[in-house]
Amino acid sequence: MSWRDPAPGEREAGERSWKTVREAFDERIPASRRHDWRLFAIAAVAAAILAAALSPPGQAVFGSLRDAVRGEENAKPALFSLPAPGRLLVNSAQGAWVVQRDGSKRLLGGYREASWSPHGLYLVAIHGHELRAIEPDGDRRWSIGRPDLALPRWSSFGRQDERVAYLAGETLRVVDGDGSDDRLLAPRVARVAPAWRPGTHVVAFFDRTGEVQAVDVDRRRTLWRTRLFAAEPVLLEWSGDGTRLLAATRSELWTIDPEGRTVSNNGVGGRPVAASFAPRTHRFALLRWFTQQRRSGVEVVAADRLGKRTRIFAGAGTFGAVAWSPTGRWLILDWDSADQWLFIRSAAVRKLVAVSNIEENFGPDASPAGWCCP
Amino acid sequence: MAGSHGDERAWIRGAQQGTETDLESLFRHHWPRAYRAAYLVVHDSAAAEDIAQEAFLAAVRGLDRFDRRRPFGPWLHRIVVNRAIDWSRARTLRREVGEGALAVVAASDRPENPHSQSLASALAELSPEHRAVIVLRHLLEYTPGEIAELLGLPRGTVNSRLRRGLDELAQQVEQDVR
Repeated sequence: MSWRDPAPGEREAGERSWKTVREAFDERIPASRRHDWRLFAIAAVAAAILAAALSPPGQAVFGSLRDAVRGEENAKPALFSLPAPGRLLVNSAQGAWVVQRDGSKRLLGGYREASWSPHGLYLVAIHGHELRAIEPDGDRRWSIGRPDLALPRWSSFGRQDERVAYLAGETLRVVDGDGSDDRLLAPRVARVAPAWRPGTHVVAFFDRTGEVQAVDVDRRRTLWRTRLFAAEPVLLEWSGDGTRLLAATRSELWTIDPEGRTVSNNGVGGRPVAASFAPRTHRFALLRWFTQQRRSGVEVVAADRLGKRTRIFAGAGTFGAVAWSPTGRWLILDWDSADQWLFIRSAAVRKLVAVSNIEENFGPDASPAGWCCP
Repeated sequence: MAGSHGDERAWIRGAQQGTETDLESLFRHHWPRAYRAAYLVVHDSAAAEDIAQEAFLAAVRGLDRFDRRRPFGPWLHRIVVNRAIDWSRARTLRREVGEGALAVVAASDRPENPHSQSLASALAELSPEHRAVIVLRHLLEYTPGEIAELLGLPRGTVNSRLRRGLDELAQQVEQDVR
């Protein structure tokens, strides 16, 4: 025997233990950075919310602490301005809001699930049983009537020849950017937003069997399909340069190249909720929800090496959405449970601006849907 | 084992900033010796796994307070070895009150492996305190002075335990060889 010999079960125990240690690491709230006293204050409030949520009086205590969050002196009482150039699109139960850099905003009443066209000239959104392309001031360009509409997305072709993909019931359909040639693309797809590869008319989607498919919509040709062995698909998102596709399921992340080959694959503790690629990079912000801890986290992940994740913020309750500013210097985080949005400057969290009273200012279920185009 | 002290500092800094791959590097660098040390003190795979894993969980919990100028290994090994000694003492007490089933479980936990052979078997015959100092000295390669600091013992006690433990170990190995 040598002291260097492995002990019985050493390797297997190591693999089991690494999973446990990784989960504990995922669930921790990192300490605040030096000089980042605002982040510390918010994390402390997050911990208070968590404690309140877990206490016997339950919701009543939780509600009073939410009020305390609103009264946090470092949080602005309303969104007075955006910290970076561009316009923010917000979906809420009242409709779609377009917020300008100076904080002025317009409500497009009755619209839901709005998203930007590539240069922010138009929005596509659902109004009742109609899919509509509208200008940011509300002027309607075209509409299509269909039942059970969901998740419309503009392509990002870039030469004024765009397409819109959307779900109608279990089907995926495509219509040209001028409202013509509405057609069926796939008969049975998962309830996940389709993702256009930038610079092309290729759209990726999850089918009902859990496969990811990429289809050239003009040639009506499937370019590739890949099975991820996943029970529950959650999201698809292309990097801005169109060379990386992020596919997330309830428990795993995949990065796929334009030929359908896996670049990286990694398990995640906690359920992925939303993701957004930083402009001109292969890094994306990922929101995750930890059910047992009733806590959420946002981290920046390297698409080419999915294990390389840097936690930038965590808090009690749910986070709803995340979006980068057009320059990639700011991140907006929808902290749903705290009724706040946080503007976080860069992954290094050098600056954090909190805005409260989101529901009062934008209506229930208000969530950022895109920060577009200076 | 790869990984200089510089690497380790970088891993700790990265883990403190939330980078999972750095924590994984730290874990994979230290796991074999942490588990092996626990195993050689407790002679029970499941207990060794629990002890080593709990030490790493304690490291995660204390990550933000950890001074990365200090080496990580001694901090981790202190937790591992002290918990392993506590576990062994508790098992000895249980045996004294007649829980024979534990002996059966322990006996069944001996797969074919160098550690199940003469030296490891001989080590199992020593007291937990003697096992601990021998493991710290010869597996983890700490000096007697460092062991004294890790276990909170006078250096003389460490030296005498080492001497007595190694003598007993030699006798046991000799008997096994015969």
